[in-house]
Amino acid sequence: MTIKRFLIIAPAVVSLVLLLSYFWVPTYEEQTRGNPQRLEQFITASIGDATILNPILSANSASSQIEGLVFEGLIDRDENLQYRGRVAERWRISEQAYFYVNDNAATLKWGALDGTELRSNLESALKADPDTGPFVTAVELLPAASYSVTRSIGRADQQRTVTLKVQAPQRIRITLNRVDQLFFEHLLPYLGPDYFETFNAPARITAEPEPAPEQLAALAREILPATTHNPVLDFFLRTNVRFHDGQPLTAEDVKFTYEAIVNPDNLSPRIPDYEPVKQVEIIDPHTVRITYKRLYSPAIGTWAMGILPKHLLDEAALAREAQESGQDPAQFGLRQSSFNRRPVGCGPFVFQTWKSDQYIRLARFEDYWEGPANYHTYVMRIIPDMLTQEMEFYAGTVDDYSVQPHQVERLSRDDRFQHFSGAAFGYSYIGYNMRRPPFDDVKVRRALGMAIDTQKIIDFMLYGQGERITGPFVKQTDYYNHAITPLPYDPQGALSLLEEAGWRKASDGYLQKEGKRLAFTLITNNGNPLRKAIMAIAQDAWKKIGVQVETDLLEWSVFIQKRVNELDFDALILGWSMGIDPDLFQIWHSSQTGKFQLNFVGYADPVSDDLILKIRREYDLDRQVAYCHQLHERIAAAQPYTFLYVNRWTGLLDKRIVRRITNASGKTTLLPIVPTKTGGYTFHFNQWIKLSGPPSFAAEG
Amino acid sequence: MLSYLGRSAVQKLVTLFFVSVISFLIIHLAPGEPSQIDPLNPKFTPEIVERMRKEFHLDKPLYTQYLLFYRDLFTGRIVSWKDNQPVLGKIWERFLNSLPLFIVGTLLTWTFSFPVGIRSAIHRDGIYDKSTTLLSYLLISIPGFFFAYIMIILVVTRLHVPVIGMETFGVTSSSPLVHFMDRTWHLVLPSILGATGGIAVLSRYVRSQMLEIIGQDYVRTARAKGLSTETVYYKHALRNALLPFVTMFGLILPGLIGGSVIIESIFSWPGMGRMAYEAILARDYPIILTVNFITAVLVLLGTLVSDLLYMVVDPRIKL
Repeated sequence: MTIKRFLIIAPAVVSLVLLLSYFWVPTYEEQTRGNPQRLEQFITASIGDATILNPILSANSASSQIEGLVFEGLIDRDENLQYRGRVAERWRISEQAYFYVNDNAATLKWGALDGTELRSNLESALKADPDTGPFVTAVELLPAASYSVTRSIGRADQQRTVTLKVQAPQRIRITLNRVDQLFFEHLLPYLGPDYFETFNAPARITAEPEPAPEQLAALAREILPATTHNPVLDFFLRTNVRFHDGQPLTAEDVKFTYEAIVNPDNLSPRIPDYEPVKQVEIIDPHTVRITYKRLYSPAIGTWAMGILPKHLLDEAALAREAQESGQDPAQFGLRQSSFNRRPVGCGPFVFQTWKSDQYIRLARFEDYWEGPANYHTYVMRIIPDMLTQEMEFYAGTVDDYSVQPHQVERLSRDDRFQHFSGAAFGYSYIGYNMRRPPFDDVKVRRALGMAIDTQKIIDFMLYGQGERITGPFVKQTDYYNHAITPLPYDPQGALSLLEEAGWRKASDGYLQKEGKRLAFTLITNNGNPLRKAIMAIAQDAWKKIGVQVETDLLEWSVFIQKRVNELDFDALILGWSMGIDPDLFQIWHSSQTGKFQLNFVGYADPVSDDLILKIRREYDLDRQVAYCHQLHERIAAAQPYTFLYVNRWTGLLDKRIVRRITNASGKTTLLPIVPTKTGGYTFHFNQWIKLSGPPSFAAEG
Repeated sequence: MLSYLGRSAVQKLVTLFFVSVISFLIIHLAPGEPSQIDPLNPKFTPEIVERMRKEFHLDKPLYTQYLLFYRDLFTGRIVSWKDNQPVLGKIWERFLNSLPLFIVGTLLTWTFSFPVGIRSAIHRDGIYDKSTTLLSYLLISIPGFFFAYIMIILVVTRLHVPVIGMETFGVTSSSPLVHFMDRTWHLVLPSILGATGGIAVLSRYVRSQMLEIIGQDYVRTARAKGLSTETVYYKHALRNALLPFVTMFGLILPGLIGGSVIIESIFSWPGMGRMAYEAILARDYPIILTVNFITAVLVLLGTLVSDLLYMVVDPRIKL
């Protein structure tokens, strides 16, 4: 019976063919045995695919991981988080400080005098002063000038343009060989305490049409500021840096990268970092001078941005590409270029292939200025599932694996692997809306924090893979003030604090003040099991001391758009991920407390504001650290957040991966991989190699 | 016939229009914005967020956005917001990756369901029937991802061969046969996992269809006139039992583009389902809407195909 036979044979044949294929597939041992090149490959796994391989456009971690290898910036941070030169061999920070000669005020020391005399007197006085003498390199007098500018004023919906005729007086320029945000204070003993304040800028500006006096004053302050700091960064580039296509990297490329970022058509998410730049000048092919409009110390770190090759991306190159692919050159910008799918940089690895959602493959760059990396190939596989990643790691087709908290205990004892761990650059917190009672009282915020046993959250929710944190800085950096102790877990203490604030237990067991119960709603976003658990723990802990807490889990975008951005919440659970730089302006400055801004808890403290600005403007690390410690103390005392914890991560590597250093005479030394100060272990990645057997290290001194 | 085709085409175009409007509205009314627009990034100023929204036309009224989107779709100019790649090219590439998985899965489902179902029907209430029923319900109720994990752990730790992805990673063999067999092996687990649910459901259908037909008068007549049991079952009963499956065959067409989100994610298979899923997470509207539109077209085509097939196999039906 043919039909019956067909019905039986068909599935049998299909299964047979499928199962037969098993005998063709190499087992893992066969893969490495017949494949010695495997030792020269580093294979890593990523949950998500890269989006766009252009350092000025991308904003996700998989993309930046690849960009970090293909591109290289002028500088980066070394093991101790200090800046170190990469494409730039060295750099120099100096400053040009300007002030306008004030005709309305006589100087304190020399009486009334004209600009020329002021300049020469000032020069000899500053040079003689031991506080300023070593730092002042030049004092010059700039002539008066008159020019006109146009500005638009008014709110966004009713803007109008005014033309301003400016009669700028003579100006003194003092060049310093370091940046000093307090420099003008050194001048006050000579010029008089209100020499700068009495400078009458509005009188020197005539506007057409005439704006309101306070608008004119604001414009005048902006156009003719009494004093100005212009920090200057000079980068001296290495002469032996080449792009992967062989073209040398020059100052032109640095300038081009800057221009590409600030070009509004490119929609670079990094524009704000470069907004304070006044101009980028090419001094010679290997020297770039960047002048800033104002003091902005995070600016140095922004030059870790990968440098783009001008010859492949300038207007001519883009127009050519548009023409070749038959697209409209007017609509064809950096974002459209195929460069973003096959980038060319000057980093240690050359881009080879990118198969969407499968892998990105890089090969080492033989002409890398620091010498080629040990690994010949770097592959990032895209494996969206954690368990699958783990399986691939055990089997040896992935070389590293980020352990999940519950596995740390087991896997760190496994002697097939070496393991590293460190604290993450981010923290979780409970934030209180300080505009609303009862959170306007620091005692209440403190008491609420003391009622929660954070150590238990870390022990049981994070399996011990977390650390207490007391303030907004990255814990491994010097900025973090380790002298501050975390809030103790002390429900009784919390109750007495609340009592001081006027909250007393009523007969129903809840705390009351003036007949009102202490009640509020705690919200967080859905989809994060940890935050959900913290929410339940906090609710329970607060209920125990007599606080009535409602909770609400919201979908992420509703949570952000309707509640956080609109400032419509009592208390919320969130986390921040941070960079190393200590600039806290957006999150903690009182000017950022409006809707759609990031200081949504409404923390407004004049002392903190001043410190935040000083940190931003300070170029000297020690002084910056001192300000940060003070700020940390202020914020910890005010408790606008209950700072909970930073996560600890753990990474596993095959034991056979080591550092191999070859010195000039060709002698190789093997070194174990050791983590740096931040806990990161990939710092010396270019020296890594996989051995065929377990390593033995030379005895260390 | 022709008038039927004409009427059906008009109806389907109208449906398609409504599908396009409704899916567009649902996506835009759902909360959330493209992942490029990240208001919680401390570095983003409101101006940048505004400019990004403008670039994606998100500042325009909905109907303008609708028209712009479908203009771009039909002129083939539409690009993904995530990486600026042409959407149609991306879909085609992913479609080719999902295709083998779909073919092998369908092949397994349809070749296994029939023998299993028919045998259950013939030996109704026997041990075989009872155990396949139990197994079917077991397979229907086990969560796909859990089953997949168990299978992966078993295969990787017992057989020591790779199962993830479309081929063994890092193996460079010149032999095309090895290459082909390697890819086939990587199809085995995901397609078996994709097919198990289908086999369980479809074999139940086959069983009940057969049972219904076997009870019919003409089957009894066939038996009475002395035909062999096999002829009765496989010629007279099976043919008639097949009719409803013709409809189902038309409906598997949309499965071509749907792919399987869970299986593809677990096996890191770069297929359609995974792309659509990731597009939804990133609010990549062009990809979501295009996939949605193509799926709608395929569903409508599928119903048309099954109508026509029905007419071919069942002479009683006239359209």
